Amino acid sequence: MSLKSALESGKFVVTAEVGPPKGTDIKKILHESELLKGKVDALNVTDNQSAVMRISSVSFCKLLLEMGQEPILQMTCRDRNRIGLQSDLLGASILGIKNVLCMTGDHPNAGDHKEAKPVYDIESVQLLKVVAGLNAGKDMMGNELKGATDFYQGAVVTPESNPIEPQLMKFEKKIEAGANFFQTQAIYDIDKFKGFMSYARKFPVKILAGLVLLKSAGMANFMNKFVPGITVPQNLIDELKEAGKEKAMDAGIGIMARHIKQLRDEKICDGVHIMAIGAEDKVPEIMERAGLL
Amino acid sequence: MIITKKRDFKALLENIANYKSFFLIGCSECASLCGTGGEPELAALKIALEAEGKTVTGTMLPKTGCQTLGTKIELKKDKDACAAADAIIVMSCGAGTQSAVEIFPDKPVYPANDTLFLGNMTRFQMFDERCSLCGQCILDQTGGICPVTACPKGLLNGPCGGTNEGKCEVSPDIECAWVRIYNRMKKINRLEDFKKTLSPKDWSASRKPATRIAREEKKEEKK
Repeated sequence: MSLKSALESGKFVVTAEVGPPKGTDIKKILHESELLKGKVDALNVTDNQSAVMRISSVSFCKLLLEMGQEPILQMTCRDRNRIGLQSDLLGASILGIKNVLCMTGDHPNAGDHKEAKPVYDIESVQLLKVVAGLNAGKDMMGNELKGATDFYQGAVVTPESNPIEPQLMKFEKKIEAGANFFQTQAIYDIDKFKGFMSYARKFPVKILAGLVLLKSAGMANFMNKFVPGITVPQNLIDELKEAGKEKAMDAGIGIMARHIKQLRDEKICDGVHIMAIGAEDKVPEIMERAGLL
Repeated sequence: MIITKKRDFKALLENIANYKSFFLIGCSECASLCGTGGEPELAALKIALEAEGKTVTGTMLPKTGCQTLGTKIELKKDKDACAAADAIIVMSCGAGTQSAVEIFPDKPVYPANDTLFLGNMTRFQMFDERCSLCGQCILDQTGGICPVTACPKGLLNGPCGGTNEGKCEVSPDIECAWVRIYNRMKKINRLEDFKKTLSPKDWSASRKPATRIAREEKKEEKK
């Protein structure tokens, strides 16, 4: 089932993500993808995540299609100008890729090629508009396309961004630009997230709550300190600490499974986006413990 | 103003290794304010060069170094000193250096400064980049704060996910341009401007090399 059909069917949708490696040895990512096959509804393929140079997102999306999976092409504006972006979108379309997640992209400063020239010819809101245009058979300059695209387009939002007002105004711009679904930055406080959802529900878009697997108390503290827009509440950090070093990952899996269960049982949002960050093999276990498998 | 900083003196010495005598040109505009090309800097470079066994045939501080014609006229009084120099060293921005290249077609010209950006002096010799010379001003739509310049990604429609309590993901030393814009728009009651989606920029307006002949427009205006 396509991501669009899954979301529109009203089922609780689960997406996860895989990050292509640096280098041509893809055994590990193929194995991880295989593990998730038939379990998640769609799989994001990151686009040079954290501005670290890796295999292109489009290429690995194509391999996922060949495996019979539903890929979500992550597309950032960091590395390509408007000509490159549109060209790659047309290319993705003829390969059969149906879902595109439009993002501005982490600055090269975060990555392993800090001397790179950042492009940002356009940005996330404008890219969503570009995709809407390609879907309508026109390029950015209004030129007629010989054959339109048919993308289901997504975007990202940070529900705990501080200050929140400009973030929400941008969220509304993204909807206006054509976003159909959103995957959020990681959330850990479900009550707070309910507040965001009661606002977001006013709009005709599907929302997947972003969940990042906590592997240790140290990781939680690190994210609180260094990752903008992510707040891990103290009670969860204590829970990881109490579990002890060896069982911390297990506790993290428990926390995520509990959150997924609550989000689904209380119908808080339309699904979840699981970011296991290097522990993709744990996703089936998370889903099992959440009662999804 | 154009912000400059002094180039490494060793690099300059390598540039001029094959020459013995020099004429030094500063600039009384931006480079003077930056402390990279005023009277004191001209004097200091003279001493430093002489300490290296070089000869300085003269120094000159033009009114506006990037005003090629005016600088050429001002230099007339230093004709002999210039003629006696093997090479020219310019202590201003890249534009001032290239004035000298045009004025001295037969002499090597070397820059003593690196040219950094167009910005404002916010406190004594503290400079903030404010304008990217993009050729298509959007300050009217962004509360008077330029995101093309102040946001490392040049975003036009609000902050990215990396904004963090008013700081930028690229460096906590950078204030998030879009939080600044939001706060400013709120203060001046223009938040409706924030809600408008800005179209992609027309980068053809900043294509290089740009030339502008303002006198043609003046002629048109007179008609």
